Amino acid sequence: MKLFRGYTAILLKEFTTMFRDPTTLFFMFFPPVVQIIAFGYALDNDVKHMATVLLNEDRTVESRQLVEKFANTGSFRIIGEVRSVGDLEAAIRQGKAYVGLQIPPDFTRNLRAGRNAQVQVLIDGSSSTIALQALQTSMGIAMRESLVMLGAATGQREQPVEVRPQVLYNPSMKSANFFVPGVMGLALQIATVFATALALVREREKGTLENLLVAPLSRSGLMLGKLTPYLLMSMTMATLIFLVARWVFQIPIRGDLSALFLATFLFVFALLSIGLLISTRAQNHMQALQMTMALILPSVFFSGFLFPRETMPQFFYWISTVIPATYFIELMRATMLRGATIADYWHYYVILAGMGVGVFAMAAARFRTKLS
Amino acid sequence: MIEVQNLTKRFGNFTAVDGASFSVGKGAIFGFLGPNGSGKSTVIRMLCGILSPSGGKASIGGHDVVADSDQLKGTIGYMSQKFSLYDELTVTENLLFYGRLYGIKGETLRQRMDELISLTHLAPYVGRRAALLSGGWRQRLAMACCLMHKPAVLFLDEPTAGIDPVARRELWDLLFEFSSQGITLFVTTHYMDEAERCSHVGYIYLSKLIVCGEPDHLKQLPEVNPAGARRLDVTCDHVTVGLQAVRRLPGVRSATVFGQSMHLLVEQRITEQQIHEQLAKVSIQQADIRPIAPSLEDVFVTLTAEQLEGVRP
Repeated sequence: MKLFRGYTAILLKEFTTMFRDPTTLFFMFFPPVVQIIAFGYALDNDVKHMATVLLNEDRTVESRQLVEKFANTGSFRIIGEVRSVGDLEAAIRQGKAYVGLQIPPDFTRNLRAGRNAQVQVLIDGSSSTIALQALQTSMGIAMRESLVMLGAATGQREQPVEVRPQVLYNPSMKSANFFVPGVMGLALQIATVFATALALVREREKGTLENLLVAPLSRSGLMLGKLTPYLLMSMTMATLIFLVARWVFQIPIRGDLSALFLATFLFVFALLSIGLLISTRAQNHMQALQMTMALILPSVFFSGFLFPRETMPQFFYWISTVIPATYFIELMRATMLRGATIADYWHYYVILAGMGVGVFAMAAARFRTKLS
Repeated sequence: MIEVQNLTKRFGNFTAVDGASFSVGKGAIFGFLGPNGSGKSTVIRMLCGILSPSGGKASIGGHDVVADSDQLKGTIGYMSQKFSLYDELTVTENLLFYGRLYGIKGETLRQRMDELISLTHLAPYVGRRAALLSGGWRQRLAMACCLMHKPAVLFLDEPTAGIDPVARRELWDLLFEFSSQGITLFVTTHYMDEAERCSHVGYIYLSKLIVCGEPDHLKQLPEVNPAGARRLDVTCDHVTVGLQAVRRLPGVRSATVFGQSMHLLVEQRITEQQIHEQLAKVSIQQADIRPIAPSLEDVFVTLTAEQLEGVRP
């Protein structure tokens, strides 16, 4: 076939080369697996056991009971007591504690007299996730205590209004369930883009490109021949990553495996095409590396991996729509956690496929068959 | 086989090849000479269809290098200056790759590979990785790779640069073998002895093709053999001392050391006796003087000097 002339020759050569050099194989497989394990464990915003210092100026049974209630939530861990408000603030400033709990001397007196009994909670706001968690938990404690007391005073046994939340798909709110599908997208990204970005650069640096140019070889044949081995390789790698997600992080896979693999195939094809596009421009390893990094970095921030896309300013939201990882990560979360089908998300699959074919065509068109 | 008319290549303001015209017949070994940067590789790249000419025309076997570059690619082989093999592939794998690249398949591919392995005597190394071959054997393999698709013309850009003299001679034997099979060879080189072996030579200097033709024909050019002058070879002891003395003799137009002897271009009126006397002044008593024909080097030196005079006002 004329359109893909030379495809087989390039394909066989790339395969032989790939398996001949174990270090390349190793560096293709090893980093993504390490990344997913490292990221999977490190990225966790379930806040537990926040270090808390206590200033109890009341020293009564009631005040001690209140402290107990704070500790029992699991969110706070009392690491020590101090004697003054100054010490309380110092402990937070010095990073020894995130939370300071101050119970004033008149707490029990006010409580017994039916007056407003106040408790002061100092929260380190420099880490917003922690601050938010501390704020909500302590407010919750106050609310519940008040309700119980009001109930006892009025004789009403039931809560007047009750919200009964039910968290679907991730009932235990494990943040690994949210992060790991995202990390899968990022881990696949780096290895694949770089693999094809180097494909032509290596030929250019070694001087073999000139030999290829004088041969009757079609551009698509060359490009597809370079891409196919890495496509197979990346699919193997993706399978490995799925296994890690399933068996190491216990992420449920509720959707169809075929949906998962179709999404991965389209995503990887798009990434490898991006690599080829880089390869047509980069003159050496260094440039290829820089271009790869320049393209990958935005996807870390704007793909919805860390922050929900919906809260992004309009401009960044637009950026996120042209990043393949945006669609892949969403597809992974949808398929793995929510059991979404291909039909539910067909437009995402079409977009990923379109990106892949489009970028591939661009790479083939931009590759110069002549020297300048 | 190769027809070139007024071929020109400009890179911005710089003219790399300035209106070169020549033709190479089928089966010829065409030696293309010139200093580094004179435009040799540029000419080859244009002929191979990987560099677009800025002007002029060129065709190989009737295929225009610009318009029919697709048909052209199947009929030419090109061993570039830095022709690189795939180091991590073995000898066989390299050959198979280049064969497949040109669409050769199955039994034909095997046969052609075996043919080239026996022709280049690569048999003992077939399983070895290209990275582990020595310079001479690498060049043989590179050449074999370029010949897998049976090209009618083989371009070799400095095939003997940097390899040892034995390998160099063997490589030339191989080139003659290819030539006897009817392949037209287009070889660039810096070595004058290699140029002497070619059936035709061209000399490019400062982007201009200065001369082109058969070596014997070039040696008889009037510019090289000025009227009223002849060339002599003088063999004696202390050649460098003798050279200084002979240069002082009026009527000696040029004198160059050539190993153990010197080559002189002298006017007809100078006799051997006069040279002997001149040498005797620096106590060289013994000297063997005989007339010689100009070498290719003489030809190129003379023509380069003329070109320079033409350039300078």
